[in-house]
Amino acid sequence: MAGLREETVTSIHHWNDRLFTFRTTRDSGFRFESGQFVMLGLEVQGRPLLRAYSIASPSYQDELEFFSIKVENGPLTSILKDIAPGDRLLVGQKPTGTLLLDNLLPGRNLYLLATGTGLAPFVALVQEPEVYERFDRVVVAHGCRFRSELAYAEFFGGKVHGNELVGEQARDKLLYHASVTRESEPAGPRLTELLTSGRLEADLGLATIDPEHDRLMLCGNMAMLDDMRTILSARGFSEGSQAEAGGFVYEKAFVG
Amino acid sequence: MTYVVTEACIRCKYMDCVGVCPVDCFYEGENMLVIHPDECIDCGVCEPECPADAIRADTVPEMSRWLTLNADMARLWTNISQSKDPPPDADDWKGIDGKYDNFFTPSPGGAAGMPEV
Repeated sequence: MAGLREETVTSIHHWNDRLFTFRTTRDSGFRFESGQFVMLGLEVQGRPLLRAYSIASPSYQDELEFFSIKVENGPLTSILKDIAPGDRLLVGQKPTGTLLLDNLLPGRNLYLLATGTGLAPFVALVQEPEVYERFDRVVVAHGCRFRSELAYAEFFGGKVHGNELVGEQARDKLLYHASVTRESEPAGPRLTELLTSGRLEADLGLATIDPEHDRLMLCGNMAMLDDMRTILSARGFSEGSQAEAGGFVYEKAFVG
Repeated sequence: MTYVVTEACIRCKYMDCVGVCPVDCFYEGENMLVIHPDECIDCGVCEPECPADAIRADTVPEMSRWLTLNADMARLWTNISQSKDPPPDADDWKGIDGKYDNFFTPSPGGAAGMPEV
């Protein structure tokens, strides 16, 4: 496969015993678009052990940020969870992915829907000035099982307003919606339920999602993606790609 | 699972898939590309990019024939990591049925597939 570069871990943040975020140095020659993923890993028994990771930092930042689960006995994440600043990681040199602004037709509101670590590409995208130039409103809806899994809640809830490039636009246009499905009483709705019931838009005071005007990016578990694609196709949304822009695009949340 | 290239690729060989594959798991025959099933990470990025709609997940019914072909040819053909120009008449072959029976060739592509001069 394409070449690998060594990068150095600069910081780690453990959200809980199942989720962590880490940052690495970034080779000055490494270019990517916000929303893309890249192969990442480390050498195990003399061979590179790599998995696909969405890049959670925007394309203009000096460092790379990644958001990972910790899978017990997971070949990569069981090792990766113990990394420390100064450790070396392998990063692929061919970022790719479908969660690109150019893959969507122009529109009114952009909905970024994620479950679990599928949130990562959207952390990058909401820090991209172009997102706010293309859309009136940018909605991040994050679905998790437990409250402690709502990583980046503070970031979307306010920290992003401090971003020098997009802070002001984020304050005006960025909306955040969190839903916890297994810990709240009554149980919070799944993303699919939020969408089919119209509650997502209602909660945020927005017009009903409409294939004429609204665009969506999805990233999360396969069940969510499958259900959501069925729902969106039935409502007249077309799937976008680099070959042809559409009403929605999706990416799997890659699991270690 | 893996993604597989079906006969819709034959004589089209558009290359869009090669440009987006994060692990460079495409292999080039003279008039077709295949995916190495052991190298594909199932990311699915290539599937919607193919102008000939030639790529499918192997979980789709009736893919076993193409999975076997992909696995066999990936061992014989040359790895391709960067897109090249598709054949000049690629569009003429898009959507034509029965291309495997009529036009498939196990000859490798790329430099190794060039006719000797």
